[in-house]
Amino acid sequence: MKASAINISDNIQFRLFLISAIVLLVYKLFISTPNSLVHMLISDLLILLTTAFLFLSLLGYFEKRKASPFSLIMNIGILNAFIFFLITFSDSFMSLLFENVNERINNPSIASVLVTLVYLMLIVGFITYVMVTLRHLFFLRQSNTQQVYFVTMLVFFMLASLTAPYLNETKFAFICDTFLIVSVLLMVINSIRISWIAFIVKKEKIALLVLSIVIAILFIVNLNNSGDGTLHNNLLGSFAPSVSEFVNIVMLYGAIYFSVLFFTTLFHIPTAEAFDRKAEEVSSLQYFSKLITQVLDFKELAETVTDITTRVGSADASWIIWKDDEFAPIANKNIGFVDSEHISKFILKKIKWDELTDSAFLKLTDLENNHELSQPYKIAAVSPLKSHGDVKGLLVAVRKGDKKFSDEDKNAIATFSDYASVSIENSRLLEESIEKERLEKELDVAREIQKKILPEKNPEYDELEISSVFIPAFEVGGDYYDFFELSKSKLGFVIADVSGKGISAAFIMAEVKGIFESLAKTFLSPKEILIRANDILKHTLDTRTFVSAAYGIIDLEKQQMKLARAGHCPVLLLRGDTAQPVKPSGIGLGLSDEKQFEENLDEMTLMLKENDTIVLYTDGITEAKNENMEDFGEKYFTEILLENSRKAVDEISRKVIKEVSMFSHNHMQYDDITLVILKWKQKIKIDGDKEWQNSAPQL
Amino acid sequence: MAEFSTSIVGKGNVSVINLSGYLDAHTAPTLENNFTELIDQNQFKIVVNFTDLAYISSAGLGVFMAYIEKIRDNKGDIKLASMNDKVFNIFDLLGFPLLYEIFGTEEEAIKKFIESDGIGTK
Repeated sequence: MKASAINISDNIQFRLFLISAIVLLVYKLFISTPNSLVHMLISDLLILLTTAFLFLSLLGYFEKRKASPFSLIMNIGILNAFIFFLITFSDSFMSLLFENVNERINNPSIASVLVTLVYLMLIVGFITYVMVTLRHLFFLRQSNTQQVYFVTMLVFFMLASLTAPYLNETKFAFICDTFLIVSVLLMVINSIRISWIAFIVKKEKIALLVLSIVIAILFIVNLNNSGDGTLHNNLLGSFAPSVSEFVNIVMLYGAIYFSVLFFTTLFHIPTAEAFDRKAEEVSSLQYFSKLITQVLDFKELAETVTDITTRVGSADASWIIWKDDEFAPIANKNIGFVDSEHISKFILKKIKWDELTDSAFLKLTDLENNHELSQPYKIAAVSPLKSHGDVKGLLVAVRKGDKKFSDEDKNAIATFSDYASVSIENSRLLEESIEKERLEKELDVAREIQKKILPEKNPEYDELEISSVFIPAFEVGGDYYDFFELSKSKLGFVIADVSGKGISAAFIMAEVKGIFESLAKTFLSPKEILIRANDILKHTLDTRTFVSAAYGIIDLEKQQMKLARAGHCPVLLLRGDTAQPVKPSGIGLGLSDEKQFEENLDEMTLMLKENDTIVLYTDGITEAKNENMEDFGEKYFTEILLENSRKAVDEISRKVIKEVSMFSHNHMQYDDITLVILKWKQKIKIDGDKEWQNSAPQL
Repeated sequence: MAEFSTSIVGKGNVSVINLSGYLDAHTAPTLENNFTELIDQNQFKIVVNFTDLAYISSAGLGVFMAYIEKIRDNKGDIKLASMNDKVFNIFDLLGFPLLYEIFGTEEEAIKKFIESDGIGTK
């Protein structure tokens, strides 16, 4: 929106300029009585208007681009050169076109008016451009409140140039003289406000010094050339006298401005170096404080630190001695590894790593085999990089020549090493937290796998009440339980615990599920199934990993349960007021070879009685810990089970879980908790009913 | 988490690893390093003393499984000694007594090594 608005107003100014130029042309062509005062005034006003419109449209063009002071000054220089050529060669050029130039001035033909107008427009164009550029220079690094000075100056320029041709040789000459004097005063005032010079670097200042004097001289030469008696003066004096005056005034302003600029620059040069250094420090610190939040990569950060160290400390090379397994130079800047390692060894010999609290300076001339260095490094500044009060690394900056590190350099390096310490620490913390996040993500995946592996719901039988609870630990523990509805009257169940934790345990769980899923369908004896499972797992698991499991089959017809156990917690049978651990012998899966496993594996068969309650669990319950690191324990577990054994299975589970969580509420749950409870409901032994029950839909 | 530490004591040609504290997935690497160290030194007759061990997790048990094969291939053994009831119970549930010789005291375990050496040389 704004851009297009500027464009339109730009166009309007430019159109106005064109219109006034054309009017001027028409006026000049048809009314050519040079000595009539009124006509002269009208033509001057027309030229003034044209100049003003040109100024405004150039202004709009300038606003849009961000020019550096240097390009502006170069612009002025080039324009001045043009003006110089224009003025110098106008004489010979005009002579080529017209036989008697001075005659033509007094008696203009159409051709001469046209040529003069083109000449005028060129001069006006250049001068306006110079003025706009000077205005831009004036406003560089200047507050807008100064605008009034500049505008006032412009107004006086106009007044002086308009009045001079008409009043100069009358008794009112003092008026135009006053305007001129005020103009000159304003020029001087406006010329001493050069604030942008402080912000350019030393090299540029020196270039500026040369440029400003050359341009100042050009202005003076142009001013001199456009004086009385030259063709330029004659031409403009008769055609547009105020323009001639205006050109002189602008030339004067330019001469004053650039002379002042020259001296200002001259006085700035001695302090330029200090100023440059300060500016460098400021910009480096800004750059670095940005990096503190940006750098994710330690290596990148270290590179930046050494890069900036060479700049703020005016050093020839820099690196960091970092202690990983051993001391090694890292992030070498402007120095080879061999040299930096050589110097690092010397530094570590001279400086006690842990005791360095401040920057230290070492003469490298003391270095043995100094001549072996590829560069004649003479002095080293060593600063500690600390975090949590410990020295983590040393920041080294070295110099080649005989120039010592100045106090400013020392301060800069010391300050900088403090900054570097902070950001290196940040970078390390960030790395740690990223690692932590990665682990948490991994655990999320593990928990997700676990959730998918465990049965969504319990099977339903008239003769069995089933309840299952699973509470995952933060670090996935590898608990697994499952039911297999083998036939209408047979239910297989398994509970297992993979050794280890985390994502590896979750993957093994998935494998174990696959093994039991397939074995349960093929074999109808718990012992057989566990033997096969051991065969498979012995070959697939790594030596240190194993799985404890208990596998059972309940035959609803025969009212019996067969159970085999491979290293798992005993299965508890609650019958009446007693709790018996059912613990047939067996080694954990994946621990022993086929023969040994088979020889030591027993299978038990249990006849079920009404309200027999079978409790399967993992050690997450019995090994749940309180704040004193005491176990929940089998004894307490059994007590709670017995107290509640007459209740429904869900109620029993709830009670146990409630007790476990109360017991360990001050301690993190370290392992998965799995609790599966099956309760046998005696079915009525009527033949007809039996038939009916077995065919009942299982919902 | 709770602390875990080990110490290795040489007794004749038998090395004794004393365990103390909590042995779980996080502390297991310490014990693993002990075993690698002994194997590197060709010390294959190892007794592990559990007197000061408060707790062992399944990952802790796994450490013994990781090295037993190599040690037995080199005519050595890992013998376990002086477990408290709780720790023994964990070993027992998993059937470790069938896989490892477990002794009441460290001395008995060392004696067993010496006896079998004697049989070996005869």
